[in-house]
Amino acid sequence: MDRHAEWKLSAEKEASRLHKDFNGLYRDTPEKITVKPLYTAEDISSNKLTDTMPGSPPYIRGPRATMYVGRPWTIRQYAGFSTAQESNAFYRRNLAAGQKGLSVAFDLATHRGYDSDNPRVEGDVGKAGVAVDTVEDMKVLFDQIPLDRMSVSMTMNGAVIPVMAFYIVAAEEQGVKPEALTGTIQNDILKEYLCRNTYIYPPKPSMRIISDIIAYCSANMPRFNTISISGYHMGEAGASCVQQVAFTIADGIEYIRAALGAGLKIDDFAPRLSFFFGIGMDLFMNVAMLRAARYLWSETVKSFGAENPRSMALRTHCQTSGWSLTEQDPYNNIVRTTIECMAAALGGTQSMHTNSFDEALGLPTDFSARIARNTQIIVQEESEICRTVDPLAGSYYVESLTNEIIEKARGLIAEIEKHGGMAKAIEAGIPNRMIDQSAAAQQALIDEGERVIVGVNKYRPDKEEHVNVLEIDNVKVCREQVAMLKKIKSERDAAAVKKALDNLRTAAREGGNLLEAAVKAARVRASLGEISDALEDIFGRYIQKTSCVTGVISHVFDQNETAHKDFEDVLAKVDAFEKSHGRRPRVLIAKMGQDGHDRGAKVIASAYADLGFDVDVSPMFSTPEEIARLAVENDVHAVGASSLAAGHKTLIPELVQKLAEMGRSDIKVVAGGVIPPQDYDFLFEHGVKAVFGPGTPMLESAVKTLAVIEAEN
Amino acid sequence: MLYPAKYYVDGIRSGSRAIIARTMTLLESRLEDHRQLAAQVFEQIVPLAGNSIRVGITGTPGAGKSTLINSLGMHLIEQGHRVAVLAVDPSSSHSGGSILGDKTRMADLCAHEQAFIRPSPSGGLLGGVSPGTRELIMVCEAAGYDVILIETVGVGQSETAVVDMVDFFLLVLIAGAGDDLQGIKKGILEDADAVVINKADGDNIQAALRAQSVYSGVISFKRPRLPGWTPEVMTCSALQRTGLEELWSVVEKHNNWLLESGNLQRLRGQQYARWTTQLCKERLIKEIFKVAAIRTYMDELEQEVAGGALTPLAASARLTEKVMSNLRNKK
Repeated sequence: MDRHAEWKLSAEKEASRLHKDFNGLYRDTPEKITVKPLYTAEDISSNKLTDTMPGSPPYIRGPRATMYVGRPWTIRQYAGFSTAQESNAFYRRNLAAGQKGLSVAFDLATHRGYDSDNPRVEGDVGKAGVAVDTVEDMKVLFDQIPLDRMSVSMTMNGAVIPVMAFYIVAAEEQGVKPEALTGTIQNDILKEYLCRNTYIYPPKPSMRIISDIIAYCSANMPRFNTISISGYHMGEAGASCVQQVAFTIADGIEYIRAALGAGLKIDDFAPRLSFFFGIGMDLFMNVAMLRAARYLWSETVKSFGAENPRSMALRTHCQTSGWSLTEQDPYNNIVRTTIECMAAALGGTQSMHTNSFDEALGLPTDFSARIARNTQIIVQEESEICRTVDPLAGSYYVESLTNEIIEKARGLIAEIEKHGGMAKAIEAGIPNRMIDQSAAAQQALIDEGERVIVGVNKYRPDKEEHVNVLEIDNVKVCREQVAMLKKIKSERDAAAVKKALDNLRTAAREGGNLLEAAVKAARVRASLGEISDALEDIFGRYIQKTSCVTGVISHVFDQNETAHKDFEDVLAKVDAFEKSHGRRPRVLIAKMGQDGHDRGAKVIASAYADLGFDVDVSPMFSTPEEIARLAVENDVHAVGASSLAAGHKTLIPELVQKLAEMGRSDIKVVAGGVIPPQDYDFLFEHGVKAVFGPGTPMLESAVKTLAVIEAEN
Repeated sequence: MLYPAKYYVDGIRSGSRAIIARTMTLLESRLEDHRQLAAQVFEQIVPLAGNSIRVGITGTPGAGKSTLINSLGMHLIEQGHRVAVLAVDPSSSHSGGSILGDKTRMADLCAHEQAFIRPSPSGGLLGGVSPGTRELIMVCEAAGYDVILIETVGVGQSETAVVDMVDFFLLVLIAGAGDDLQGIKKGILEDADAVVINKADGDNIQAALRAQSVYSGVISFKRPRLPGWTPEVMTCSALQRTGLEELWSVVEKHNNWLLESGNLQRLRGQQYARWTTQLCKERLIKEIFKVAAIRTYMDELEQEVAGGALTPLAASARLTEKVMSNLRNKK
């Protein structure tokens, strides 16, 4: 008998002693990979990819020859809030405490190309990032931070032209030339249409903006990464590791084509393309994901005729997953982040952000930010994992997973290519639907307890811990920003601004580098809103349709007998409602403000529809008044406001008030998303009937919403 | 909560958004006391209704119907019209619930004072049109909306139902797919009063123009929905808002022709007649199966058929005989 058969025999015996079926030891993952209970040398014997070296193609083992032995990954915490002064002070405190690079978070108003005085962005100014209206704000943001020595990463995709222009001019006025600037601009618009939703213009002009930035930087800022092709947000939207790799590489292919189409040579720009991945809780799968991504990118770039090996090296930033964090028992999140941090490090990332444990509750405080930063410092400096390159290489399991992810992702990439590339595929809704299905299926697995989340669906604490989160007085921030803007507008040379903006419009219409024209506008103090509007005049403003999958959640619940029964119970309640009210419960799921995170809203919409509700879905970026109108017009029983970007205290009470003004105070309002528990009472006092934090099981929220609807006023 | 009929009628006349919405809910309700009140309200609405152009809009998935409705609606409002959009979304047959997501691509129209948009769940009914769509059209008209756009769900059953409640039926297609026609139900081209090739922008313009000439050829061999009207094929870009004026001028031309030829009255008259037939059938079936004896007999027959003791044909003959004899006995 061969040793594998021998093992199987004893494994079967052990399994039956544990009252388990041997076949049940094979586990299916969201990647649609069946993980075996045991991997052996045979699993990798035919695999030629296991014997490669770091620092040269295909780079499976890392983009640099010495990896962390030479220099560990850069600790780069993503942060920004309130005004430029406040963020600047926060950055300088962090740099003093051991952080190595900056990563700027802009507020949603800035992302979407609005100045702080725009009425559409009331609830968003300074909330989930720093407000930047003009180059003056950018100068304050980097005050006493020498831009020729500090690498700066900026998460900006929609309003990327004015933000890059402000950064270049702020450096210029610090006395730093563009060629000395190092850092990264995210500049990845395709994934915005796919899942993050902070786009402004339609896909075509947006792709042109990207190739203009690549062209400008190739000529003037050779040390600056012109794009950070991001899978992170797909992961947050519910994509599996295979989907994350495949769609990110497919996005990369589209950007290469755009740059080639603009006349650039592959080896001139490919070395400055960088990546950004999100790291979840499945430790070895995530390690394998990073290894697979490097291989696929190397293969891809080579196929475009690259000769410089550096063009083929995938360099990436990683962030631990926000989706894996829970509101309940929040200190557990520190442990989760530590595991994810290990995965990113073992996978060979070049820089990293570790999340604060309170991220599912609100904005990080100095205290939680310190623990987050120390998490990776401890892994880096105490755990000794930096002693050797790619320590998991040769592991039967990890090498097999790497190989399986490569093959599965290749299949997906081919499918995307068949639809004419990622831009077309997104327009046709193909990757979007796949991610939505994965998200809904994963949520259902959590809700029915198949996937364990400690403190949520298992080992729940008796008492909830009270955690302080950072409170932003956005009214004050807004007032300060508006005053500053007014002052700048009154002091600048109005004719020069007009001329610069006209030139920008001409460039947009007739060709000419947009960034170059915007830099000139930034110098004469044109605002972010004005620059964005000038482009909008030519390109138009885009809005994506929100589509929701149906049937996925009921399907997952059908797989398990108890879960199926719970599901049917809710369905019966909904049917009873219809019998007594003459129609199904009708709920409007609303996204207000500039918050584009819609995974939660979409999963809830899908779940409620599967449970028999009629679900209206609002356009994204609506104002409270617009939502109230929709609610009245559609005569819904309740509005479910989803908020993940800290705008809830402004936007939701306003919605309640607008409903009353329209004579429909009887329409109930419930809220869900990232809402700090200490804000619950505030919301209840302002007429909100129920609040659902992250981790609320879908069935529970549906039943509670139904009860809220049926309750008398 | 129910109000007296006058509350609804007055609210509609004064253009109250909240009351228009509530009336629609009432008309869609499946409760008996709601239906009785709805019938009363409806009787008073009808005299106020009829004064609009009713346009049905269908198209292949991905053709950009919602975006087109948004752009066209905004264009019409700029011309001084008041626009109502009725959209019907499919309900899941398993749970009966539905996602009504069309508004997500109509952000401009959603926010406009002169527009009213109401998606309705189809309630799991075949045909893809909610039971109350015709009534809802009339509510909008009574409230002063003079253009009613009715969007169908996907391509399939719903067009036939929608064609039968509109004055103008528009088919939205896109260029490039080549095998477009295979995805379209066969009769749909015959029903269309006009075809518009959307997304004629950027480097797509040439392809759109080619598609325009192909469809013009195809359509010239079809029998038109109404004799005397030659369907037109146009191009437009909902995204860039081009071609909308031309598109609407065709609708207006058609409408003028309907009015002058007296065809409008004839068309709507025929539609109402068919509506009556349909309502009668639905109500009769519902009433018949309310009779306990009939229901029990039906169950027995079904079991016999399932067991192979009876053929479906024989069973239906027996049931019909039973119903008829019940009727005769009551006389």
